[in-house]
Amino acid sequence: MAGELESCKPLSGLLSGLAQDAFYGHPGITEELLRSQLYPDVPIEEFRPFQAKMRGILKSIASADMDFNQLEAFLTAQTKKQGGITSDQAAVISKFWKSHKTKIRESLMNQSRWDSGLRGLSWRVDGKSQSRHSAEIHTPVAIMELEIGKSGQGILRQDTIHGNNMEL
Amino acid sequence: MLVSGFRSRTVVRKELEWFPCVPPSSVKMLIDFQWKLGMAVSSDSCRSLKYPYVAVMLKVADHSGQVKNKSFEMTIPQFQNFYRQFKEIAAIIETV
Repeated sequence: MAGELESCKPLSGLLSGLAQDAFYGHPGITEELLRSQLYPDVPIEEFRPFQAKMRGILKSIASADMDFNQLEAFLTAQTKKQGGITSDQAAVISKFWKSHKTKIRESLMNQSRWDSGLRGLSWRVDGKSQSRHSAEIHTPVAIMELEIGKSGQGILRQDTIHGNNMEL
Repeated sequence: MLVSGFRSRTVVRKELEWFPCVPPSSVKMLIDFQWKLGMAVSSDSCRSLKYPYVAVMLKVADHSGQVKNKSFEMTIPQFQNFYRQFKEIAAIIETV
């Protein structure tokens, strides 16, 4: 059964599934789902520590935002550890990180943004205006509509503001 | 980037009187624009975050003169787009 776990074909899929759960917050990616889809012949008691080990490695790499030198050093150390990973597995993990690094990092950055973000911006410039107090006001006016809200949620607030004499 | 200096509440109310034809009362006037460039160094989900961001605090007044603060955060690419929009507005206002 250990041979099954060492096979590299499903490892890429496992890393994807773990990333979906740990970084992108996709619901429903259970241990049993991953096992049945990727390692159907491996019993759950063996699969559990294996996926935990892979998840730990992935989280360490992401948390340290490892560059490729650090990654190589880290993975080499993992291959030398008792109960670590094989060099084939290290290669799969390395390839995975190289292609997903940017996306995972973006996801982690989003997780740490707790203030509202700017979801949208539109604007218009008005020329002359009139009022009952003055015949004509020549100051041009810029009117902006800002969509401010938390990422992943609907629009919380929508404000239209205007200002004149904008200088840069 | 400079956007309209700070105005007192009475001045704002006077200025807003000039625009009675401003349609919905949801249109507010920009009183002040404050910004800060921050760098998130580390977080519980990522020890080595190194994430620069621009935080903005807008002071806006509604038609009654009541002033409110609105704050939000932008990534650097978002801020660059924000800045480009303002540049475009400034260019057009010159021609009006």
